[in-house]
Amino acid sequence: MRPHSRHRHSLHCILPPYLSREIARNGTREQRERILRTLSIDTTFRSMRVARGAMIPLGQRLIPSPMMVESQLQRTIYDMKNTEALPGTVVRTEGQGDTSDVCVNEAYNGLGATYDLFWEVFARNSIDGMGMPLHAHVHYGENYNNAFWDGERMVFGDGDGDLFNRFTIAVDIIGHELTHGVTEHDGPLTYFSQSGALNESISDVFGSLVKQRVLNQKADQADWLIGEGLFTDNVEGVALRSMKDPGTAYDDDVLGKDPQPGHMRSFVKTWEDNGGVHINSGIPNRAFYLVATQLGGYAWERAGHIWYEALRDPRLRSNAGFGSFARLTVMAAGRLYGSDKDEEKAVRDAWNQVGIRVSRERAGEPAWGPGVQLPQQAQQQPPTH
Amino acid sequence: MRIELKREGGVAFFPGLNRPRGLDLASLPPETAEALQRAVREARFFEQPATVGTAARGADRIRYTITVEDDGGRRHSVQLLEPVEEPHLRALLELLKQAEKTQRASARAQHP
Ligand SMILES: [Zn+2]
Repeated sequence: MRPHSRHRHSLHCILPPYLSREIARNGTREQRERILRTLSIDTTFRSMRVARGAMIPLGQRLIPSPMMVESQLQRTIYDMKNTEALPGTVVRTEGQGDTSDVCVNEAYNGLGATYDLFWEVFARNSIDGMGMPLHAHVHYGENYNNAFWDGERMVFGDGDGDLFNRFTIAVDIIGHELTHGVTEHDGPLTYFSQSGALNESISDVFGSLVKQRVLNQKADQADWLIGEGLFTDNVEGVALRSMKDPGTAYDDDVLGKDPQPGHMRSFVKTWEDNGGVHINSGIPNRAFYLVATQLGGYAWERAGHIWYEALRDPRLRSNAGFGSFARLTVMAAGRLYGSDKDEEKAVRDAWNQVGIRVSRERAGEPAWGPGVQLPQQAQQQPPTH
Repeated sequence: MRIELKREGGVAFFPGLNRPRGLDLASLPPETAEALQRAVREARFFEQPATVGTAARGADRIRYTITVEDDGGRRHSVQLLEPVEEPHLRALLELLKQAEKTQRASARAQHP
């Protein structure tokens, strides 16, 4: 017996994934279509074709591994003891109870909440979709003011206590870091310029969804802040970023003023910050906020699904700009909820409001079938400077 | 000796922190200045390449640029991408961050 068999029936998830798969196999056509909307186990286009007429034997394509019927959440938390020599010491593994260290518990719970969002809402089994174990390293460095994803694990500093509190304090930051792993696996979106800002924005979007789901907030109840609670009282500011009002999160003597634009007219051209990845992410962030609030209800339901579908679209190039991602979200909305329905309109309208026009013709789905080749990906090299 | 520390990236971009921060060792408490000088020497700073560490993967890592100008007019910059593995460079970075924090605290005490 596994100590932590998970039989959670989330109210906001249409059905738990294992049940969804049963229906995908044995349900009626209507049931299948409804479920396949949420069940993106295989690639978007396979699901799409299946939903449209069961052209592919369902059982084969939708269930890549017979193991994938239950959650495979596998967390390990390491204590860095204020050094930077990774990996540090294991202090909590899956199924173990709370420790006396608040950072350890926050990391453990934050990874759990993030895993749950991807699993219960998007039927994705961890970062790689194959149950990849999750590793978080807390108490990294001395007075360390950051959290990052190194390609394999999440690393969290304690903050210097002067400007920043511990970085595990904000569950959306934990979700943000883990989502970098998801994007790296699915995208990947080159960490530079517009594709890098999209990469950043996707981490903010899903990080925020993790927090909203933990707090059971609907789109209009959420604060849409990223990293609320990270600043100490010495800082004039509420959070690292605001998805609702980019550029308003802080204005402080030491940190400066939040540089995020919320519209293309204020797009920042810079070589710093990998070409402004944490700056221009304000634009797609606001687009997501606008979609979610326009549609109402829980943001992870429709808006979240549309964004997730676009992220997984094989046509998303590693050097994608805002415009092409916008187009993929419009197409995803039409595909998931019907063309020219509220969802597609909301998505198109949101991008319009941040200065990105997705024309009707260009958003139309190109012919897509087994014989169609994917566009060649032009490799974009970030400058070394 | 003058040392400048600049950082880029991290989970957010802060214009204020992104500006290079200069530390004039003459204006620091003697023990801090000595520790920094020793750290520069032990890190063989002037012999280090312009970039240490690469980022093939990952996100939100901080990139530090340390520039040291000694009293003889020698000047050298080294870019460090975390996690910084080399222990002496790491120690230098730690000292710089500590000195910066102390400076900020005293500035805050003078101009609350
Ligand atoms: Zn990030």
